[in-house]
Amino acid sequence: MLKNAFLMLLSLAIAIGGGGASVWYALKIQDGVGAIRIGQWTAFPDIGTPAADPYSKARVAREGVLALGRAEGLSFVAENDAAGDELKRECTYRLEGGFPTARFWTLYAADQSLGVVDTGKTRLAALQSYEVLRQPDNSVIISVGHHPMPGNWLLTDGSGRMYFVLTFYDTPIASSTGLSDVSLPRIVKAGCDA
Amino acid sequence: MRSFYAALRRLFHAVLLGLVGAGIVHIIVLLLVPEFSERDAWSRLSMASDLYRMNRLDAEAGGAPVVKSVDPLFYATACRFDLGEGMVRVKAPGNVPFWSVSVYDRNGHNVYSFNDHTATGGVLDAVVLTPAQMIDVRKDLPEDLQGAVFVEAPIDEGIFVIRSFVPDDSWKPIVSRFLDQSSCELQDF
Repeated sequence: MLKNAFLMLLSLAIAIGGGGASVWYALKIQDGVGAIRIGQWTAFPDIGTPAADPYSKARVAREGVLALGRAEGLSFVAENDAAGDELKRECTYRLEGGFPTARFWTLYAADQSLGVVDTGKTRLAALQSYEVLRQPDNSVIISVGHHPMPGNWLLTDGSGRMYFVLTFYDTPIASSTGLSDVSLPRIVKAGCDA
Repeated sequence: MRSFYAALRRLFHAVLLGLVGAGIVHIIVLLLVPEFSERDAWSRLSMASDLYRMNRLDAEAGGAPVVKSVDPLFYATACRFDLGEGMVRVKAPGNVPFWSVSVYDRNGHNVYSFNDHTATGGVLDAVVLTPAQMIDVRKDLPEDLQGAVFVEAPIDEGIFVIRSFVPDDSWKPIVSRFLDQSSCELQDF
């Protein structure tokens, strides 16, 4: 009798513990269902719409996100460089390449919670398309690092993991048909502070 | 020996049952999270301000941002409304480089969005209403609603968000004023 009770308790513990923990884990990881990958960049075009999958819906409810609408824009997040290594705040990176059609875009360096990196200075860790210098072929080269650099410089600070968030506003790529032949800038590591 | 195997089999049976149960619990918890979350956008906003009150979402206005993860080059403001009480009208005066608007339902799902290119003359003047209220309005369109953008949303409670682009520091006061002067009120009809 006691043995039966023990087995029943064991089943219940696995069911409730395992079920709860697996949901918590699934919501914690950045990658998820419904993601679109272009190079190192990931976007969730469906997040925050009634058509989203249950995981996205639970994440929206848990984190209190108000996602951008289709007519507003589309956000891409990068967590790795072109070599597949995690992005680090103590490293220097170069973003180079063309950007898809949009009225304008913004780029910022983010921490784990996707909030902007605190630089401790008046200069934000963010750039936008109206203020960047362009190459003759209309592509853009952006240097990311702690130390001032010529050309377009995105200031970062601190150490640890970093994410890049690239958002296009009022863009045709936000409608799903436009996403097939979009190319986004490459992220190349240029070196690291020791 | 035989009883040992029997016990082992029962243990295995119990673990298997537990795993199947874990799958069921996973699905149930996942579907219940949106229903019971007290950290969703609506709950956070309702702690910060009343219905029909514009509330800044960016940290610029002082204090921690109410709803996180807005672009650092953007300012945003939001108000909650209840279409059960009547239709809601949102206006903001002034000219800024870019603004966009989203209507969310109670669960924070984006129901409708548009930007300044959609509006007449780039002026933010929108009315959110249910399809039933739309039928009434269509019968006799009031004079002062002629230029407004009508957002037909099949929802009761919802959130209206205005986002506006801040290209550089010199635009900060202008964009701030644009958002602070925006209004969100019940429209009599």
